[in-house]
Amino acid sequence: MNANEYQGSFLGRISIRRNQVVVMDAIHEQELEDIELFQKHVSDRFSELSSPSDDDAILSISWLRKLLDVFLCCEAEFEAILLMDRDPYQLSKPPFDRLIPELLDRAVKALDICNAVTNGVESVRHCQKLAEIAISALDQKPIGDGEVKRAKRALITLMAAINLDDKDGTNAKSTERSWSFGRRSGNKDRVAGQFRSLSWQVAKNWSAAKQIQSTIYNLVAPRGAEASGLPSPIYTMNVIMIFVMWALVAAIPCQERTGLPTHFPVPKQLNWAHSLIGLQEKIADEWKKKEKKGMAGLLDEMQRMEKSAQSLIDFTDSFQFPGDAEKLQEAAGHVAELTEICRIMEQGLTPLQMHIREVFHRIVRSRTEFLDVLEKGSLPVI
Amino acid sequence: MELPENPNKDNNGYESAEKLILRWDSTASEEAREKMIFETDRHEADLYLQAVDEIQRSLSNASISNNTNAAAAAAVDDQSKVNSTIQIAMARLEDEFRNILMTHSSALETDSLFDPSSSSFSAPSHHELEEDDSVSNEDSSHNDLLRLPLQHCESSDSSTYRSTSSIREVDLMPAEAVCDLQAIAMRMISSGYLRECIQVYGSVRKSAIDSSFRKLGIEKLSIGDVQRLEWEALESKIRRWIRAAKVCIRILFASEKKLCEQIFECVGTDIDDACFMETVKGPAIQLFNFAEAISISRRSPEKLFKILDLHDALMDLLPDIEAVFDSKSSDSIRVQAAEILSRLAEAARGILSEFEGAILREPSRVPVPGGTIHPLTRYVMNYISLISDYKQTLIELIMSRPSTGSRYSGDQSTPDMDFAELEGKTPLALHLIWIIVVLQFNLEGKSKHYRDASLAHLFIMNNVHYIVQKVKGSPELREMIGDDYLRKLTGKFRQAATSYQRATWVSVLYCLRDEGLHVSGSFSSGVSKSALRERFKTFNAMLEEVHRTQATWLIPDTQLREELRISISEKLIPAYRSFLGRFRSHIESGKHPENYIKYSVEDLETAVLDFFEGFPVSHQHMRRSQ
Repeated sequence: MNANEYQGSFLGRISIRRNQVVVMDAIHEQELEDIELFQKHVSDRFSELSSPSDDDAILSISWLRKLLDVFLCCEAEFEAILLMDRDPYQLSKPPFDRLIPELLDRAVKALDICNAVTNGVESVRHCQKLAEIAISALDQKPIGDGEVKRAKRALITLMAAINLDDKDGTNAKSTERSWSFGRRSGNKDRVAGQFRSLSWQVAKNWSAAKQIQSTIYNLVAPRGAEASGLPSPIYTMNVIMIFVMWALVAAIPCQERTGLPTHFPVPKQLNWAHSLIGLQEKIADEWKKKEKKGMAGLLDEMQRMEKSAQSLIDFTDSFQFPGDAEKLQEAAGHVAELTEICRIMEQGLTPLQMHIREVFHRIVRSRTEFLDVLEKGSLPVI
Repeated sequence: MELPENPNKDNNGYESAEKLILRWDSTASEEAREKMIFETDRHEADLYLQAVDEIQRSLSNASISNNTNAAAAAAVDDQSKVNSTIQIAMARLEDEFRNILMTHSSALETDSLFDPSSSSFSAPSHHELEEDDSVSNEDSSHNDLLRLPLQHCESSDSSTYRSTSSIREVDLMPAEAVCDLQAIAMRMISSGYLRECIQVYGSVRKSAIDSSFRKLGIEKLSIGDVQRLEWEALESKIRRWIRAAKVCIRILFASEKKLCEQIFECVGTDIDDACFMETVKGPAIQLFNFAEAISISRRSPEKLFKILDLHDALMDLLPDIEAVFDSKSSDSIRVQAAEILSRLAEAARGILSEFEGAILREPSRVPVPGGTIHPLTRYVMNYISLISDYKQTLIELIMSRPSTGSRYSGDQSTPDMDFAELEGKTPLALHLIWIIVVLQFNLEGKSKHYRDASLAHLFIMNNVHYIVQKVKGSPELREMIGDDYLRKLTGKFRQAATSYQRATWVSVLYCLRDEGLHVSGSFSSGVSKSALRERFKTFNAMLEEVHRTQATWLIPDTQLREELRISISEKLIPAYRSFLGRFRSHIESGKHPENYIKYSVEDLETAVLDFFEGFPVSHQHMRRSQ
């Protein structure tokens, strides 16, 4: 509901009650309606996200962008409800004197996650570039030993990048890099992890998993009287923000995701939360499955890339010039799949980063607005 | 070398090239793994490159000849062999490339970059503050607003300016290495191995930049970290960041760009752009993240000046940023820099506006003893003096007038400002005037907490006078505030002085009036002795009380103190002298005249000297001469 609509219906209500201008009642009722509408929208939007089409599988690049859009829409509605025509003193009184600072604290954590994920997209891009080497090698006709070796070298590096341990960039599975040289005499520096192409932009002890964990900490659904007032949409917005950040971290590699929480303490009875919880559980299941193997994230395109890359590595392992026709055809199929994935990444990764940046900006602005209101509402000592 | 005519010769050239390349196949032999060609021997390196060229040539030749099927089939076979050899060569070259890069990828030598004679490493001076800033913090609720000393570090920053005032590219590696890299890159790219080349280049150079960053003290702080740190700690980080950013953009990144251009000289600008961005994008974003985190931190007054410093530094760097990051692929970096700049400006505006609100709402109620200058006054005036030092930047940033009065103030009466009188003033000047208006409004409120009305007036007089002195003391401030408003303020404190005098002295001097003392009756027209005695008694008591009390009051400004005392004396002394003159005989003719005429004119003159010293008088009573 935008500002104009709000004003209209509010004044409409006042004029109905001619004898008793019970302004407070009118405001309260309007507010309740707005909250209900907000939560209905939330429910609808997440329900839509739960039934994706073929083109945007859950946790694909385009699905993530849809998720970010959902966040932006929900956030805009939320801000309108909380801040429009709001007496700032109200937000300084309990329980808001606790709820708002908590919300803002989570917002700051979300900002760091946005930055980490944007940085993480670079490692996806890195994988894309490696895959492109393999593609350009295997696209040659006919495929010879040279091309296959070249592709294999790139694919092995790619698999190493995909299976990178988030923590310090060392390869969890093997220390063999695609270089021909493991060590050189006297020069022990060039060990696997040292010159990995990506170093995280965050401090050594920063952990995405811990960050997410700390946003969930203290997340308590409002009870009793609070559940029907403003604390309710505040809780909803908190949950949405946490979910979005969590999904991003699950999808995109960033530093230290080991121990990523898989359970959200959101009560199932909440109407608006059904689809969201459903999604969360689905993603969490996938995460638990894949976590043990070590992976670069649940990003759909990365999963597909890993499959194709593995198949192609198998192909290169067993290749002998001029190659088996059936196997060649199969390989061509995988190459085509890889090509498609790279195309999607080429077109989608930068827009995804820009989208995350937009979310970043919005959170900053919203936080500034809230801080402003809090400042105005701080009760002077009389 | 032209196309050789003799096929045998051609074959020999190819064969020996192939042999050389296979000899150096590191997947095949231990020996090949042990040594690096380009480290071993210049001659070896040249031979290898020639071999690669030979193979490449034969690849393009192979497509010429042979039209028969059999020949074509053989050609395919050959081609595959050649491709295989090329792959081996390329793999080797990739490793050589990586090795050369790694050998020459230490951190930038930063020590020589700072001008050692400049004061770039000196601590900022604190002596921009008032000497008499000994603040008596009776009321601890002052503390939030008055917490920190205000530093002005412009001088120390401008000297580092000199050393990095423009783009300066340095050689990141020896020319020989660059040549080798160039030679290798050329072969790799012409064989279609561009992607590998970019990957290797980017990953190694990025590490080099990482170590340079560490050396420059660029930290990886999260936004959460920055919000949690004390502002004082952040101030030194900001200083360090400003110095480091200048080096990064003007020297480090510029030099990396030049290196890319050199290595990929022969192969076109898109490629060296790609390599440059691959190398530098991440570090650039990491660099800016800190400035961004500062720009979104919670606003509070003490942050203004460092934020302005940061804003100015970034503003200064903007043309260099645009020069270094001039390709399409670096859009996001330029955009981020611009975004941060704009947020910093917004933060500055927000802080100023919050500062104004904070002054208005500053809640301390405990009156400052002795009616002296309130710490709030000192703080605010110091603050706006510093603001006037940053006038150049702020005039650009502050674009709207102050919002006079807040909807949420809760007070019925809010301060007001007549903008009509202030036509032609910059928004910044309007803000400064508004700040003074708001300060006075707050002080008025505080003055009401004095139980003694005289003291309230004195308090206002002291504080407004201080404001005037501070404005006069700063040419920039004075120029912005304007002499018109200055006159108004002057009038205000003079008015307060007058009000004080009236409040205290009217009733004292009332004792010395003529009326009511003369009695005209049937038998005598003379003076009522009893009334006269009452008068003297009252006068003495009042004077003693005023003396006792107002000696503890304080007017810190010497000149003002003198002026007020003189003004008091000018009214008091002649009145007393004339009263004494007219009526002393009546008292002296009665009993115990000393109970009534306690003080001589000289006593009074001396007593006035005690006023407003801020010390309690050592004797209970005024001295009296015998």
